[in-house]
Amino acid sequence: MTNSEKNRLKDKAFQVFGIFCTFIGLVVLGIFLFDIILEGAKRIDWDFLVSLPSRRASRAGILTAWVGTIWILLLTTIIAFPLGVSAGVYLEEYAKKTKLANFLEINISNLAGVPSIIYGLLGLEIFVRQMRLGSSLLAGALTLSLLILPIIIVTTREAIKAVPRSIRDGSFALGASKWQTVWHQVLPASFGGILTGIILALSRAVGEAAPLIVIGALAYVPFTPSSPLDEFTVLPIQIFNWTSRPQEAFLTNAAAAIIILLIITFMLNGIAVYLRNRQQKKIKW
Amino acid sequence: MPHIDVELERLKTKLLEMWDLVEYQLQSGREAMLTADQELAKQIVKRDKKVNQFDVKIDRMCENFFALFTPVAVDLRMVLAVLKINANLERIGDTAEGIARFAQKFETPVHSDLLELTQAIPMYDEALAMFAECRVAFISNDPKLAKAVIKRDKTLNKIYRKSDAVATKFMQQNPDRISEALALLSIIKKLERVGDQVTNIAEEVIFYREAKVVKHKQDKKKKKD
Amino acid sequence: MSKKQPKLEARDLNAYYGDFHALKNINIAMEEKNVTAFIGPSGCGKSTFLRLFNRMNDYIDGFKVEGNILLDGNDIYQKDVRVDELRKQVGMVFQKPNPFPKTIFENVVYGLRIQGIKNKAVLEETAERSLRDAALWDEVKDNLNKSALALSGGQQQRLCIARALAISPSVILMDEPASALDPISTAKIEELIYELKNDYTIVIVTHNMQQAGRVSDYTAFFYMGELVEFNKTKTMFTSPKDERTQNYITGRFG
Repeated sequence: MTNSEKNRLKDKAFQVFGIFCTFIGLVVLGIFLFDIILEGAKRIDWDFLVSLPSRRASRAGILTAWVGTIWILLLTTIIAFPLGVSAGVYLEEYAKKTKLANFLEINISNLAGVPSIIYGLLGLEIFVRQMRLGSSLLAGALTLSLLILPIIIVTTREAIKAVPRSIRDGSFALGASKWQTVWHQVLPASFGGILTGIILALSRAVGEAAPLIVIGALAYVPFTPSSPLDEFTVLPIQIFNWTSRPQEAFLTNAAAAIIILLIITFMLNGIAVYLRNRQQKKIKW
Repeated sequence: MPHIDVELERLKTKLLEMWDLVEYQLQSGREAMLTADQELAKQIVKRDKKVNQFDVKIDRMCENFFALFTPVAVDLRMVLAVLKINANLERIGDTAEGIARFAQKFETPVHSDLLELTQAIPMYDEALAMFAECRVAFISNDPKLAKAVIKRDKTLNKIYRKSDAVATKFMQQNPDRISEALALLSIIKKLERVGDQVTNIAEEVIFYREAKVVKHKQDKKKKKD
Repeated sequence: MSKKQPKLEARDLNAYYGDFHALKNINIAMEEKNVTAFIGPSGCGKSTFLRLFNRMNDYIDGFKVEGNILLDGNDIYQKDVRVDELRKQVGMVFQKPNPFPKTIFENVVYGLRIQGIKNKAVLEETAERSLRDAALWDEVKDNLNKSALALSGGQQQRLCIARALAISPSVILMDEPASALDPISTAKIEELIYELKNDYTIVIVTHNMQQAGRVSDYTAFFYMGELVEFNKTKTMFTSPKDERTQNYITGRFG
């Protein structure tokens, strides 16, 4: 066998190996989805969506859970969006390259890696106890906001960084101030990217159970929340709760709830992909 | 108008100004010769300095043009042509000055019989006409006209070739007027040079319009024959 | 030289990037309504110098200026000088066309909008005048609401020039304005510069020697942060005094 034949064989072998690796993840996900859908699809109907939780599996629904999830999503967005984007803009556009800025930067990256349960503990101490918000939607949203803030800051910075220096120069050269440049040029041009980041961050928040459990979100809430200070539950907690029951029927309920949760997550991801594509089509540097 | 054309136009205008001056010099030379006008001859000699100034100025303008615009194709040929036409005009200017210097030697106007014999006046007129026509060819970018000008040079050459024999005969018959005849002979020689220089200019006009080199073509033909 | 007040002037100017001495003791005076070209090898400081005149270097960390830069005799690095006011007088066009991702119209009137001008008639009038002056009006007048990014590179650069003209500066700085363009677009930009010098003082940085020859009245040659020679372009290109200038413009460098 000549050298070049050997090389070609190696090349082929690696290609096959690569395909195998790529598919492992997809196959596992596929099996999981298949299993879940097989188990839970038959349980999903209108009643399941609009019924309150119950001790009897066949009568239990997820109304309070998904309404709670939507509440949490909205509140988290309202809190985390302005904070995260502002912080990102500050760090990228205004902050001088000082030691303090470096310190901030490293720590924001670190925050993104902190386990979510730690945020739960933080939220419990600050929001639930110190601020006396109790185990309310607001406390939960604040906690989740903390959790996704680093992600939003990082993606905002990335999106802002993608706006070419030349656009800023062009704006400055026409006499625009820093704020005018950010407001008229940088933010509009990077908005798609920022939005994508926020939605991806939200789709992470939507699946979190641990920090909310820590701050005391309930598994059993017999009413839909009507104000940010109400107690609440969310889908992941409901699922967690049901899977820990011994009865087979509750497991089916859990599977059905997982399908709903996945649909919400996929929808959020879908919106993110759509926005990113539209942005890329609109602006070519 | 594009910047390069503006500059080219300036160059052309300058060259035409010089052309007019040289033409005026040549015409004045004719008058000085015929009238033995010492004052006029002196003026011509003095004015040649102005021609030389034009020469220097146009050389400098061409140099700048090459340096600043790095011309190519037709623009390049145009500037090359201007450069060479300039050199030829300057020489024609010198010739006019030379004629004036000879005219200064004349104490009385040249006798009409001598002029008649040598055909000096028709020759002078032909040279002036060629010069004027060449100018038209340059302004109107007309290579055909330029070619016609080149052909007319033959008339001058014919008169020039005969002039030696005619003058010799005249001098034998009129030994008292030898110096006058010699001076006229020199002027005729100079006019023949003017014809050559006008031909050169016409060749440059053809070169710049058609990118064809026409000079020295006839030499080759002759060799083949 | 007449005693006319120079439009732009640098006196004993030194500039530093941190420890790097980027511009060394530069003295130069540029007259009104002339085109001055800055030439020199990459890294010689010509772009840095250009950007001093509208203080575009202000945002660079560690950048420091000593000496004076004068616009109409006034030091533009004085503390009380407002940078946005300065930039209304000194416009700039960059190397790569950098239209904003907005419509053609919004690009041109951006400078006015950030000044708070909202009057539609004023904006429209300015847009038309600027686009005409930038020789772009006929090509875009029916598409003013189309994205500027849909224009060709050459058109984009002329749009950027129009954008700079819209705020009525008296000086226009151009940093290699045609280096990213094809020859036809380059010729158009050069023609435009030739037209614009009737009304504006123009300073242009270029790597293209022929371009400097074609468009400029004066040329300054920079080398290693020094201003080696400054003279009429004609003189610079036919008989430069400094050996280094000669080597550079004849392409015999290094």
